[in-house]
Amino acid sequence: MKKFWKTGEPYVLATGAALAIVLVMTITLIGTVVFNGFSYYWPKELVRFELKDGSYALGQIMQHEKNPINGDRRLQLKVANRDVFGQDFRWIDEKEITTRTLPADAMLLERREHGNFFGFLMGVTAEGLDFPAASTPNQKLELALKLVATKNQATRKIKDQMSDLNNRAERIRLKLLKLEYRDKEKNSSEIAELTVEREKAMADFNALNEQLIAARAGITSITAQFLDVTGAGKDIAVFDIVAHQYPNSMSFFAKCGAYLERVRELLLDDPRESNTEGGLFPAIFGTVMMVLLMSVFSLPFGVVAAIYLREYAKDGLLTRMVRIAVNNLAGVPSIVYGVFGLGFFVYGIGGSIDSMFFPERLPTPTFGTGGILWASLTLALLTVPVVIVATEESLASIPKGIREGSLALGATKYQTLTKILLPMATPGIMTGLILSMARAAGEVAPLMIVGVVKLAPALPFDGSFPFFHMDRKFMHLGFHIYDVGFQSPNVEAAKPMVYVTTMLLLAIVIVASSTAIYLRNRMRRKFTTSTF
Amino acid sequence: MKKNFTDKSRRNDRIAEVLIRIGGVMVIISVVWILVMISQVALPLFYPASAKIAASVKLPATISNSKILAVGSGENQQGAYVLDDSGTFHFLTVPDGTLSASIKAPNIPLGAARVVSAEYTGKSDYNLLWDNGAISSVAVEMSSSRDAGGKVSLSHDVSARDELVFAAAGTVVHSFARLMEGQGTVRVDRLVGDRLRVTHQLVEKDFLGNEKRSNNSFEISDPLPGRLSAVAVDSKGHYLYAGTDTGWLLRWDISEPDQARLLDNIQVSVDRQAITSLALVLGDVSVAVGNAKGALSTWFPVKLAGSGEDRRLIRIHTLRPTGGQATVILPSPRSKTLITLDDKEIHADHMTSERNLLTIPLSTPIVKAALSPKGNSLCALDNAGMLKVWKLDIPHPEISFGTLFGKVWYEGYDKPEYAWQSSAANDDFEPKMSLVPLMFGTVKATLFAMMFAVPLAILAALYTSQFMSPKLKGRIKPLVEIMAAIPSVVIGFLAGLWLAPLIDKSILTVFLSIVLVPLLLLITIFFWKRIKINSLLQRLTRGQEFVAMIPLVVLGCYLAFLLSGIAEIHLFAGDFKQWLFSSLGVRYDQRNSIIIAIALGFAVIPIIFTIAEDAISNVPRNLTAASLALGASRWQTAWRVVLPSALPGVFSAVMIGFGRAIGETMIVLMATGNTPILSWSLFNGLRSLSANIAVEIPEAPVFSSLYRVLFLSAVLLFVFTFIINSVAEVLRQRFRKKYGRY
Repeated sequence: MKKFWKTGEPYVLATGAALAIVLVMTITLIGTVVFNGFSYYWPKELVRFELKDGSYALGQIMQHEKNPINGDRRLQLKVANRDVFGQDFRWIDEKEITTRTLPADAMLLERREHGNFFGFLMGVTAEGLDFPAASTPNQKLELALKLVATKNQATRKIKDQMSDLNNRAERIRLKLLKLEYRDKEKNSSEIAELTVEREKAMADFNALNEQLIAARAGITSITAQFLDVTGAGKDIAVFDIVAHQYPNSMSFFAKCGAYLERVRELLLDDPRESNTEGGLFPAIFGTVMMVLLMSVFSLPFGVVAAIYLREYAKDGLLTRMVRIAVNNLAGVPSIVYGVFGLGFFVYGIGGSIDSMFFPERLPTPTFGTGGILWASLTLALLTVPVVIVATEESLASIPKGIREGSLALGATKYQTLTKILLPMATPGIMTGLILSMARAAGEVAPLMIVGVVKLAPALPFDGSFPFFHMDRKFMHLGFHIYDVGFQSPNVEAAKPMVYVTTMLLLAIVIVASSTAIYLRNRMRRKFTTSTF
Repeated sequence: MKKNFTDKSRRNDRIAEVLIRIGGVMVIISVVWILVMISQVALPLFYPASAKIAASVKLPATISNSKILAVGSGENQQGAYVLDDSGTFHFLTVPDGTLSASIKAPNIPLGAARVVSAEYTGKSDYNLLWDNGAISSVAVEMSSSRDAGGKVSLSHDVSARDELVFAAAGTVVHSFARLMEGQGTVRVDRLVGDRLRVTHQLVEKDFLGNEKRSNNSFEISDPLPGRLSAVAVDSKGHYLYAGTDTGWLLRWDISEPDQARLLDNIQVSVDRQAITSLALVLGDVSVAVGNAKGALSTWFPVKLAGSGEDRRLIRIHTLRPTGGQATVILPSPRSKTLITLDDKEIHADHMTSERNLLTIPLSTPIVKAALSPKGNSLCALDNAGMLKVWKLDIPHPEISFGTLFGKVWYEGYDKPEYAWQSSAANDDFEPKMSLVPLMFGTVKATLFAMMFAVPLAILAALYTSQFMSPKLKGRIKPLVEIMAAIPSVVIGFLAGLWLAPLIDKSILTVFLSIVLVPLLLLITIFFWKRIKINSLLQRLTRGQEFVAMIPLVVLGCYLAFLLSGIAEIHLFAGDFKQWLFSSLGVRYDQRNSIIIAIALGFAVIPIIFTIAEDAISNVPRNLTAASLALGASRWQTAWRVVLPSALPGVFSAVMIGFGRAIGETMIVLMATGNTPILSWSLFNGLRSLSANIAVEIPEAPVFSSLYRVLFLSAVLLFVFTFIINSVAEVLRQRFRKKYGRY
């Protein structure tokens, strides 16, 4: 035993334990996110409890725990029906429960507003819709949903036209502003023309709006009648129903179908209810576009700087200073980049652009406020060191003989670089690019300052000229997590959504960085095994 | 053709070289540029104030012959006015000095002929005291507009404010009148012979809407310790301040309609100099006192130990003395700045920062002076009849090194403190911008996180690099690198919304697992040799011991969780948090420093791990081989040979981790309550510099003091991380050089 201590084997075990703690923590973190993220969309059973005081409760069991006051077991029930009960969740002491059942006809509704509704379908009222005589309430609901969907198509068309008109009116307004700013007298004829055009567009818009209101009224008059668990009736417009299901009587495959449908909604739909429900499409789109835009800026600069350091600079004081500067850039806190972006890009360059090109719009800023362009530039600055370091590393790992061979054959340095070195270093550069993209996708602090918003009215890329709207604010997955998790009024109800967003972001980042690490390791192996 | 090609190649080569060099140098420039740029925004905080004389005009003889009671100027230094004793406002355009209009005050009380004195009550409102003892109130309005041709035209008006008409009897030297919110009006008169009279006019409305006014008047009966030399009343009419020629400062509560209560009676200066001027600083909390020797100080009531609930006036700030007798103190209507006049100079000081902002020397003594409603221009009339208007530019008076890094006694506080509170609902709020609690928060978060992360990361790196089987190492290293890529917002979210409530439920688990996991480890070590023989664990031989440790860690934490319930009941009367509060007086925040230590530690572990592991692995193999060949065990080799050689690299890893922890924003933002407090307690939250920037900058108006202070904190963060990273980098390069030749 004494020898065992003397050789230090116990200490080896201690270091092993340190590694074990680190691994356990990582696994716990990823496990928690994955478990909570995946389970949120799985249709949970609706349990009906009869309580000792004779009342009923219907809902999904969220968790069991010990009541901190009296030490009894209790469970947290998601009862939904926020507009009726006031709260989404309630605690029930288990000894209060007399019976629990799973009513097959208990229905879960996802609504456009007020969160979910749990209850029992009684009937459907729809004017001008003849239901087959023997149809059940459920069949009626299906028919009504179909009717609403077709009617909604028409309103959507009107809406599209309206948004076109609105865009046109806005463009004309800006043009008018410009003309008036430049020279009111000289352009008076054009101004008059445009004013007429704008008024016409607005009149059309208003006419369409009335149509829309009429159509909406026609849709919302179709309602379904429900009973909640306390026996109180509730009328819900069929239009407000996003999805409905009988979780207690669903087969496994039906549940899978419902799950996939929710995933589709998550990836492709817009958020609802101040981001706590619905999809993440604008956030995903904003993140991807910002990251791509960032790569456009960071890749060339990073590669050029790395080439300079590795191939051109002589190993002197200057080079060492550049190296230190690059490493420092990587170590500067990201919030400092945000502050820099705000001061330099947004108020500095953006402010100058506004006063030079859009003076007529002031004091409403165009580029002088946070936007996707400034956010991308800020993050490009933040991630350039990653690209530099990775590129340099991959250039350094190319054996010297290859360079010398190329030069000896009469190629210039530039030719050697473009024809020999860069193609060989491509995997390394890709690694750096992917790593920098992963970093940018996960970075939030600087973005909060230079252009991310909780809800952007329009995507930074759309069908209206000039397609890429660099001045627009955008949504971002990481900020979505912070905003929904910490700033929303009902954090408890929003939590599952945050887990889903977190899982998505984590998946993106982990897939990207594993690819990068894999590429890098393969490249290392390739060059270290070559026999130069 | 061939030659063309080579020429072209050469040319391309040269162009490329130039371009690439430029690109490289750009990188250095951009680093420097970032620092320059953010410093450039922060620097104006320390710029001195300036005053530019905008106009100096001779008053027309007709006006200057009469007695001038008040002067004033507009915002743009384009117009000024004087009030003479007939109650006429004469408006002048400056700088040319032509008289543009003379408007007589409206609503002159019956039987009044001459104005005795005028009291400026702020926002261009004046209370005029007439020779028959009545008070009327007027508002002066000046505005300028620019027409299409760019010509500026001025307009002015004098209107009556009916709510403050107040008749009284007796010979009054000077008087104050104030509207008391919902209680009518109060008037304080300074009568001949050092008497002070307070009159309340109560307005009662009966149910028909008829107003009934009743006057209630009394004289202050408290004996004065000297002759009255200065009087001031706060803007709500609650407190009356008086100074005597023997240096006593008195304060009465006059909010009750039937009596004045003497609250304070104190000697202001040791040498019993006469108090020559009194003025209330914006916000009505502090009173500024100037004396005959030019000493200037501000006072406000403070709850003192031993005096119960009563608050007594205390000298809070001593400002730089002026040369001569402080005749007038003008409080700025926008900040806690005070303009003091004596015979030789004009002084501008800020109360909170105690900065002397500005000194304007005077050739002739000033008779009357006033600040414009926004406080950006000063208008003064000297005894030669010259009316002068200064444009004041006082950029950030409340900021000084003292307020940023020192203890400051803020209004309403019982003692000087370090405090951060940048904004409040009202305008007269005193901004508290001490960076100390934020720097403290940063250091606290970083230190706790490092205490958690450094041992784990370095030991794990040592194990991975020295003891782990190479095959496994190829898998574990990428795993840790992926861990480094986990966005901080994810860690912050889990720390704030998952870990914090979890630890909140059973805080003892954390402490118990710190004890139990090593204990279990010791027990395992004890049995290790025997366990190893066991065939089931045969596979866990050299290089894979950590796999066996994983269940051990999980088991330890679980046991700790089980035990914590028992311990809480038996040792801490069932509720640890309650016990903590009642026996140690420590409040428990759900988002506290333990959460931060774990979350922030988790974020920096992979960084330290990766760099340290690289450094340890880069120690040449022949050193290890030599050590092992001489009979050292693998631990002895690792601990005595490898680790000391790799120490600079490991140290640089720690430094880089440190730098990352200092600047980390999202985790600190989400996992703490963001309370800027100075407490080392594990159970309290904190606010770090970086999180503070993220919280406050979206609301900070551009180029305001707050905006610049936030930039200053960014500069601090930059410089601090720059130093740490540079040191780490130099160490690392040296380390590389040392072993690069192997």
